[in-house]
Amino acid sequence: MSPMLIIAKREFRSYFDSPIAYIVICLSFFALGLMFFLLNGGFWQLDRASIARLFESTPMGLSFLVVPVVTMRLLAEERRSGTLEMLITLPVKDSDVVVGKYLGALGLVLVLVLSTLAYPLVMFWKPWNLGPIDGGPVASGYLGMVLFSCAAVAVGLLISALTESQAVAFFITFFVLGALWLFGDLASKAGGTLAIVLNYVSFQSRLNNFWRGLIDSRDVIFFLSVTVLSLMVAFRALERRKWA
Amino acid sequence: MATDVMIQANGLTKRFGVVRALDKVNFEVKRGEVVGFLGPNGAGKSTTMRILTCFISPSTGSATVNSHDVFDNPLEVRRSIGYLPQRAPLYTDMTVWEYLKFAAEIRGLDEASFKKRLKKVVEVCGLAQSLGKDISTLSHGYRQRVGLGQALIHDPPILILDEPTSDLDPNEKAEVLRYIKEIGKDRTILLSTHNLAEVEEACARAIIVSKGRVVADGPLDEIRGKTGRVRYVVTVDEQRAEAGNKPPAAAQAQEALQRLSGVKTVRELPTDEKAHKFELSGAQDSDIRAEIYRLAVAKGWTLLELRRDAQSLDAVFRDLTRGDEKLDRGANWTAADADDEEDTSNADEDEESDDDEDEEEEVDAKSKGKS
Repeated sequence: MSPMLIIAKREFRSYFDSPIAYIVICLSFFALGLMFFLLNGGFWQLDRASIARLFESTPMGLSFLVVPVVTMRLLAEERRSGTLEMLITLPVKDSDVVVGKYLGALGLVLVLVLSTLAYPLVMFWKPWNLGPIDGGPVASGYLGMVLFSCAAVAVGLLISALTESQAVAFFITFFVLGALWLFGDLASKAGGTLAIVLNYVSFQSRLNNFWRGLIDSRDVIFFLSVTVLSLMVAFRALERRKWA
Repeated sequence: MATDVMIQANGLTKRFGVVRALDKVNFEVKRGEVVGFLGPNGAGKSTTMRILTCFISPSTGSATVNSHDVFDNPLEVRRSIGYLPQRAPLYTDMTVWEYLKFAAEIRGLDEASFKKRLKKVVEVCGLAQSLGKDISTLSHGYRQRVGLGQALIHDPPILILDEPTSDLDPNEKAEVLRYIKEIGKDRTILLSTHNLAEVEEACARAIIVSKGRVVADGPLDEIRGKTGRVRYVVTVDEQRAEAGNKPPAAAQAQEALQRLSGVKTVRELPTDEKAHKFELSGAQDSDIRAEIYRLAVAKGWTLLELRRDAQSLDAVFRDLTRGDEKLDRGANWTAADADDEEDTSNADEDEESDDDEDEEEEVDAKSKGKS
């Protein structure tokens, strides 16, 4: 196995060795349930065989809580406790460290995202069949959510690479991802060029198309670019230790 | 043909901002040597080790480890070494076995050779009882052993250990030193510490660094002789005396000793006995024990102890690195033997602190420029 995958495996496992993975998964499902069935009248009021609400609330929860919590420690904690020195002086490339840690954290987030498949499966397939659901938007919605997770975790990793404090990493990630989400709401209030700009960078606006069953290559490329760019900057931030 | 020089540092200089942590450091470590890397805190020991392990890069200069350059071939360098950073930072959420397995996997050991090495490492480091324990529950001494274990797991030709004995209790220290001697029989080891007794215990050669410079490098005996002095310890009873003489007062005895020819300095040492204890220093290659004895007889002192030894490494170390201490401790520095130097050192400090302020301003200006 390549060093990158070994690091990813260790990182992924370490979430489950501490309570963090269980807390994040349990509380996220509880919150998702509340949002899905109760908020704004809930699912039943809608009276439609659609899980669009799931796609709206999950990325919001990921932005504001899950991704900041999962990524805050990735590099900040290693740097503070000194384990980074131990890790990097093993025969691994800096890029192995960055990508390995990224994959480990992304793994946990994807476990969470893919577990929400329970909603469409349980409600529209077995044991309940509440109506004929349109499979297209569900598939594209999930594709969007996976792409969104890739980008959000990369942003979180980048911020964790810039600081030694988990708390600082958490708050900045919370703020940045939150802002990138809320820009979508702001855009609808603003007008003109500002709205275009805000819509362009907002994760929410980008996801909108996926919810409607539309896979636009521009959106796919946007999320992938954010991912790659963040990882590259994180790599540079890690490399900076050599010269600073 | 493999060369015999395992570690070579060529003019390593490292600047952190305006601070010069290392200044043109040169040294070589040959195959099979166990070398103590000594220096006060902040002298640049860890910085050097981090450069050798490719964790950071030197500002100028170069280094090769096992004939691989730290710039061109960091992965090969890291494959050749086992490294224990200061304070053995480990992943506390893993068990000892998991951690060693992780290190072995990254180093590309297959299952069979891992098992074989694990057996050996467990034996050498005394980890048999703790393999299944979480690292977070281990004492610092045991963490240090695990750190040593992960450094040994791939049977590296070179070991770089940064303060492997700090924070250990005396038993654990002795144990760790025993391991180091044990494994040092067929490996090259560079070991940093500020504890000199350890170097004398485990190493044949020492490199002393101070303020980022190498101030001494050679076999221990050579370093001991470096200041060119021999040390005598003389103890005289303060209550009894021979042949009806009065026991001497401390000041009297000190003065009499001082007047002996060949004595450079006399210093009173603290003692629990009812006696005056002095430390004398004389020139290398001289022996004034006979003179001291005759003086005692002439004065009728009861001589309780008289011994000559080459200057201890401790004293050499202090001699070689003392200048730094003075600057670091600032205006409040008042060691007993500094009285005569106090004025000049104060002047130095004033200058120094002015410099510091300037530097700080520079740094501020720079960081503003950046943001």
